[in-house]
Amino acid sequence: MTWRYDEWKAAHDLPVGVSERAPLGQQVRAGDVIATGTTYGAPVRVAGARHIGVAPRDLGRVMRVSVGAEVKKGMVVARTGRRFARAVSSPIDGRIAHVRGDGDIEIAPIVDRWTVRSTLDGRVTESTESTVTVEGSAWCLQAVAAFGPDAIGELALAVGTAGEEIVPSRVDVTQRGRILVAGGRSGAEAIARAHACGVAAVVAGAVPAAGLRAVFGDATTAHGAPSQTDLPTVLCLLGFGSAQLPLSLFAPFRDLASARAAIHTASARLFVFAAAGAVAIPMPSSVALHAEWGAVRPLDGPVTMADETRFASERSTRAVMTSEGPVPAANVIALAASR
Amino acid sequence: MTSAPGLAPTVDVVHETSVGRVGPGADLPDLRVGLGEPLRVALLVGRAQPDLAAARAIALAACVDPVLTLRGDARVTLVERATALREARPDAVLFIGSAQDADRMTDLAEALRLGCASRRPAPLVLVAADERMRSRLDPALAGLTLETVPEAGSTQARDAIVSRLRGMRRSHGELVLRDEAIESAARALAAATGRSTLVVDASGQTSSLALATAGAPTIGLHAHVGLGVSADRVVARAGIERVRRWMPRAIDGPALLDRIFNRARWPDAVAANPTTLALELALARESLAHVLAEAERAGVATAPLRAAQHIVCTGDLARFPRAQQTVLAAVDALAPESMHVVLRERPDALVAAGAIASRGGSEVLSAVEPLAMIAAMWPRRSASVTVIDASGTIEERVARGAFFLVPTRGAVELRIAPSAERPSASGLALGVVIDARGRPLALPPRDAERIPALARWYTALDVLPSEPA
Repeated sequence: MTWRYDEWKAAHDLPVGVSERAPLGQQVRAGDVIATGTTYGAPVRVAGARHIGVAPRDLGRVMRVSVGAEVKKGMVVARTGRRFARAVSSPIDGRIAHVRGDGDIEIAPIVDRWTVRSTLDGRVTESTESTVTVEGSAWCLQAVAAFGPDAIGELALAVGTAGEEIVPSRVDVTQRGRILVAGGRSGAEAIARAHACGVAAVVAGAVPAAGLRAVFGDATTAHGAPSQTDLPTVLCLLGFGSAQLPLSLFAPFRDLASARAAIHTASARLFVFAAAGAVAIPMPSSVALHAEWGAVRPLDGPVTMADETRFASERSTRAVMTSEGPVPAANVIALAASR
Repeated sequence: MTSAPGLAPTVDVVHETSVGRVGPGADLPDLRVGLGEPLRVALLVGRAQPDLAAARAIALAACVDPVLTLRGDARVTLVERATALREARPDAVLFIGSAQDADRMTDLAEALRLGCASRRPAPLVLVAADERMRSRLDPALAGLTLETVPEAGSTQARDAIVSRLRGMRRSHGELVLRDEAIESAARALAAATGRSTLVVDASGQTSSLALATAGAPTIGLHAHVGLGVSADRVVARAGIERVRRWMPRAIDGPALLDRIFNRARWPDAVAANPTTLALELALARESLAHVLAEAERAGVATAPLRAAQHIVCTGDLARFPRAQQTVLAAVDALAPESMHVVLRERPDALVAAGAIASRGGSEVLSAVEPLAMIAAMWPRRSASVTVIDASGTIEERVARGAFFLVPTRGAVELRIAPSAERPSASGLALGVVIDARGRPLALPPRDAERIPALARWYTALDVLPSEPA
């Protein structure tokens, strides 16, 4: 959960309908298109093998176009024979979406086109019809959860201090295409406004869970909701409700402002593309869950471990003594630890 | 088992991130109890309702995460199904269908191939269908690994499918799955006491109900909802209002949601104050209620679960600071309808004993302590209840809506006129809980009525400590 410069891996899931994808070994930069494809409408099932009188497993030999190819209405898709030819032609404009096990062909109209962009500078290490994985070096900040599609943009600080909350009025169209660092908290209004203004993503210490459900739907959970639809991209660094970013997390944002960055929502990671020595990372501190669980706060001051302590709930457990009293040790997480 | 004869085995019980050790060993444990690898399963079923129910029942029994259910009769295109399957990222796919659904099942198989055949690793496909259906599915699933499992019609067949799915979750031989350990504990307790035993487990990641009755197969129901890292799933499935209704203090939904989401991302977090403790109690109730609701959806009769003579609480449900908290959460969640004895495990002891029992004999009675006898009633008019214990005889008049605890000492016998039944128990930590709140347990929708009602119940059992000033 702290800033680290290292070699990372980002797997990009692809929707159904891939047209092209980056080959293995290709060097890419964050934001480069690594796959393109089409969104299919309701497919039409066309009798294939049985229409032209071949066994389903032999259909591939007589197909004039490959699976995934675009076809026009009336175009011959498969054909056998010479003098007494039998052919299958496409009833619609679209793509050959699928060849069924019984030799029938599913041809789907194209209703939209999509692209998937890399969220890392690096090399393609896996490329299949369902995933393109890129490996490369970057500064990375692991967050608790991410919501929405992947985002790529220039990192921009939208607040002055670590504990500040971004207010909607501070978001405008001049921040279009940027990844906004929104401080300790960002409400749903600021997120919605940022999306409307074309902001690439919002990074905040915490986001109210109810706001996330308002934006991403009631099925949203604390474990994130990566998607490929037109929704805002939100990265929750520490938790939900409200939070104050520890200095060890916030200070590097100042040095990295204006750097190229990307959010990979499936892994809830922020990648920033800057030289390995571009930032001096302060000693990582710890964060504690508020007694009511509604907020996360940094433990930047001195703390000591205490023995078994009995809390107001009557639970007895090891505690961390802070300036504000004891906190159950399990409710304190060192930022350097993995989560 | 690797222990020398005469030595008690050492069992590690895995919690969210921590591990509880039961037994004398200081080095490697003999057994380890955990949830194993998470297994995401897509259920592809035919038109018939029994097929759908069977698929759900198998998912519940195997403690897998059913990420998607697709039915043969739904008006959904091949592409939509393929997209749903790709986005669901299943580790395994279970096909259940009958011969008359062959065409529809083939459509589902084609969608699976289109959506998932290119994934690495590709999901394992388990086909529970007859020979004819399997031969139809074979070409449609070309490129995917197929495994034939018995048709899901009989209990034995379902058990075989459940075993296969559990096998996929088990990462190594020494691991005993928590759900297996709970079922095994229920069987061992039922055998030792001669009473029908329901083990109720609510932990951070999962919630379980396991009923063992002499001469009948064990019923195991497990779901990925809990009061820790799976707490957010309770809200996603049941809704925030279902959780909020159990809070004995006024708290708005959004604030409660933040707390639940933070708890879900904070493994093994400790409830340090009464409000968060009340939230854990609320989550425990709704997690168990969710398992019961899922069981009903899967066609599993829940009446025998509610009728179990012994209700044994394990996991986080058994670890609440006060025994009253365990009793209240269990009673509210299960809404039992007659006389029952509620027990709880000593920390991790019953789960560990169940794990040992799953590999051989194990003494389980010492792993539990009796807490209370529950007398659920709905008298037409004020009824007389007599509690006889070592201190003497206590007679109480019970009216509809009453809910109170009669503390007892030593052996206890209960008499409720005009019933001839004389339920008894001994060594109850709390006593006899008279529950005349009615079934189903109705909570007023408005805070102004609901919170006082909850407060009365909490006070009756002295459930929560007072808030610090």
